[in-house]
Amino acid sequence: MFRVRNLSMAFVISIGALTLTSGGAGAAAASKTFTYDTYTQVMTAWDPATEYSNEILAMQQMYETLTRYDATTKQVTPLLATSWKSSNGGKTWTFTLRHGATFHDGRPVNAAAAKAAIDRTIKLNQGAAYIWGPVKSIAAPSAYTLVFNLKYAAPLDLISSSDYGAYIYDTQAAGTADLAKWFAAGHEAGSGPYQLQNYAAGKEVEITLKAFAKYWGGWSGSHYKQVVFRVTPTASTAAQLVQSGQVSFVEQMTPQLFNSLKGQSGLQTTSTASWQNLFALFNTSYGPMSNSNFRKAVASAIDYKGLLAALKGAGVRTPGIVPKGLIGYDPTLPQYRLNLTAAKKFLKASGYSGKHPVLNLTYTQGDNNEQIASLLMQSELAPLGITVKVHALQWTAQWAEAQSKTLSARQDITLMYWWPDYADPYSWFVNLFQTEKSPFFNLAYYSNKTLDAQINRVEQVLAVDKAKGAALYSTMQKTLYNDAPAVTLLTENYQRVLIAGIKGYVDNPAYPSVVFTYNLTP
Amino acid sequence: MIRFVLRRTVLSLVVIAGVMVITFVITHVIPGDPAVNWAGPHASLAQIRQARISLGLNRPLWSQIGHYFWGIATGDWGTAIRTHRPVLNDLFGVVPASFELVGAALIIAAIVGVPLGVLSARWKGKAPDQLVRLFAVLGVSMPAFWLALIVQLIFAQHLHWLPTAGEYDPSFAYSHPVPSITGMPVVDGVLTGHWALAWSSFTHLILPAVVVASYPLGVVTRLVRAKVLETSEETHSQMMRSLGFSERAVLGRFALRLAWSPVVQVLALVLAYSLVNTFLVEAVFDWPGLGNYAAQSISALDVPAIAGVTLFVAMVYVVLNLLVDLGQAFFDPRVRLA
Repeated sequence: MFRVRNLSMAFVISIGALTLTSGGAGAAAASKTFTYDTYTQVMTAWDPATEYSNEILAMQQMYETLTRYDATTKQVTPLLATSWKSSNGGKTWTFTLRHGATFHDGRPVNAAAAKAAIDRTIKLNQGAAYIWGPVKSIAAPSAYTLVFNLKYAAPLDLISSSDYGAYIYDTQAAGTADLAKWFAAGHEAGSGPYQLQNYAAGKEVEITLKAFAKYWGGWSGSHYKQVVFRVTPTASTAAQLVQSGQVSFVEQMTPQLFNSLKGQSGLQTTSTASWQNLFALFNTSYGPMSNSNFRKAVASAIDYKGLLAALKGAGVRTPGIVPKGLIGYDPTLPQYRLNLTAAKKFLKASGYSGKHPVLNLTYTQGDNNEQIASLLMQSELAPLGITVKVHALQWTAQWAEAQSKTLSARQDITLMYWWPDYADPYSWFVNLFQTEKSPFFNLAYYSNKTLDAQINRVEQVLAVDKAKGAALYSTMQKTLYNDAPAVTLLTENYQRVLIAGIKGYVDNPAYPSVVFTYNLTP
Repeated sequence: MIRFVLRRTVLSLVVIAGVMVITFVITHVIPGDPAVNWAGPHASLAQIRQARISLGLNRPLWSQIGHYFWGIATGDWGTAIRTHRPVLNDLFGVVPASFELVGAALIIAAIVGVPLGVLSARWKGKAPDQLVRLFAVLGVSMPAFWLALIVQLIFAQHLHWLPTAGEYDPSFAYSHPVPSITGMPVVDGVLTGHWALAWSSFTHLILPAVVVASYPLGVVTRLVRAKVLETSEETHSQMMRSLGFSERAVLGRFALRLAWSPVVQVLALVLAYSLVNTFLVEAVFDWPGLGNYAAQSISALDVPAIAGVTLFVAMVYVVLNLLVDLGQAFFDPRVRLA
């Protein structure tokens, strides 16, 4: 027993020693270091022409675009371009580039470099390269003048502000080596305020960026000099890290944890509506949902407020399709609300009353919001005599089922998120509601020739007159309300937790989850 | 001995080939198209078609399986869909962290479990025995993720004795690249004389290792107790007692020696089992190991990565079993290799 007692004593002593040395080690990190805590790895790809995932968090620190969209003012703001104008009915766009901007390797950011970058992105045609679809040719008539000639009128100032696929990068960075391979080896060639310092694939501290001394914006005033991306898959661990000051910012929390951290000293919390909508897409081509009255009955039986309450602040309602902060957002649009009287009336008009229809609903496995929405819809439609069979599937399986060539094998309702790749609601309409010969993303199988014509016209209108474009988007949303091929169940909320000392943080849904660290004051 | 090794090696290769075929078939009958994941969320039809060609998914199944076997044999385990990196590179990146965590856990299990087992046997039916048995049952039955959250909350959050999560203090990565020889920071810190890193890594290892150790610790304790009790009743133990050896010597010197063989067997199996089954502990403690990698790959339906992890773990099982058999034959003259 004596030996055991000795061991116990040794254990206590060693723990005591650890107390002296390990406590608050992470908190001791330099105050000029901004540590971004995310739940999954950041870098999947390094090529700014093709990246289309979580890389955006780091890429937006290392790279810049010609312009940036401000979701608060709904205005496009200067970045590498200081001014721009459209002519020729929106088919020619001229950008004047900033003098004095350089890439991290020292080469100047000029019109020729910008043209080379965008030309390469278009040529590779991967990721979000489709955003440059309207571009016929690019010219660099002078060192700092960049001219885009378009095939058809399009809002190129919005496109050049895109979160993906619009980066200006140095195509000469690899020298004689293959640029794609050079990027794939973990290099960057941007002009942003931060440059790559260290990358550790698969590690919890995945990327470290350091200040780019020659950044055109300069480093006078108070700025973070280092940005670190840390991967923490578990929300409870992330909460502990931010509470102890070991990370500066947590990208995502569960609503329960978020609410528990609200008002805690040493922390600040923000909640901002994203541009990510969760849709229930109704099968308009087969079965009961092909009947518009039946669809309206279902849409009127959903308790949207109850869903938001169940999600504890993780979402908000959007009238129509277009969320707040985007051109086309219209708070006066009609929207479906829980109204069982109306639901019964629509059900009777559909001819399905008393026939006990059975609907198959699919959602993406592992998505908490979709699961809650599915179960609520199941219970809410039961009193109308509608049975909902809920199937949780991996997204690829869910999509494959929705694209089945056999109509009866497709689902009746599918839950799916959609968000735009640049500050323009066009993506929702062209992908989800324009007629498709065989289904791709239009999983409501909706076809409306009037709406199709409006979708084909709206970008050209927007390119020359944003107010008219916005009005047309309102009209299109009213059409969707009347036909009910889908309902917007919710728009997700970004719930962020930051340490208290950080000033200047604004959540910009045009760049999902990106923190423009240079704009922060430590 | 050589015949035995050759025969077991051939059998092991057959087992691994079987695992490869089953893995390949299962991953190819799962509904869904890996090219969709590869191409990204809003990819066009043309981009998905291109991804299918790049991944070789447009080829007939027999060609794909042939290519898969040839790739495994030549070190090309495919490209992970989630990370866009070669699977083998990904595995080399995460396996050392898992070996470090599970290795530390097994050392704890052996160092603590064996004496506790002997103690329990020595005081059979008495208070120490009851306490140790309760401790062992708790270790085996307590869900690891729950224990992880509890110890993290107590020792990191409230007492601030140990770090919350991670492999080492992130500030090491802020200033300069962390030296990597084995991929295990504690070992690398010692090998390079980077004592601050070694100490930081060691303190970060304690909580996850203790949690991972809880299951094998319970098993080892119960196993040692049972084996020591069984042996202590046998005639040779009684003879030792009659020759005047103390009870401590009978149990510790003679009975315990016979318990080592099953303990080593169990530890070897637990090592292979724990490599991927610690994913919840790894998730709680931000441990960049194989379990975390496997869990994320499964969530993303990353077929090449899932197949790579399965194959790797199968190989570890087979090799460890072979080594245990050989080790037993070498150390225990009663074991004959047939």
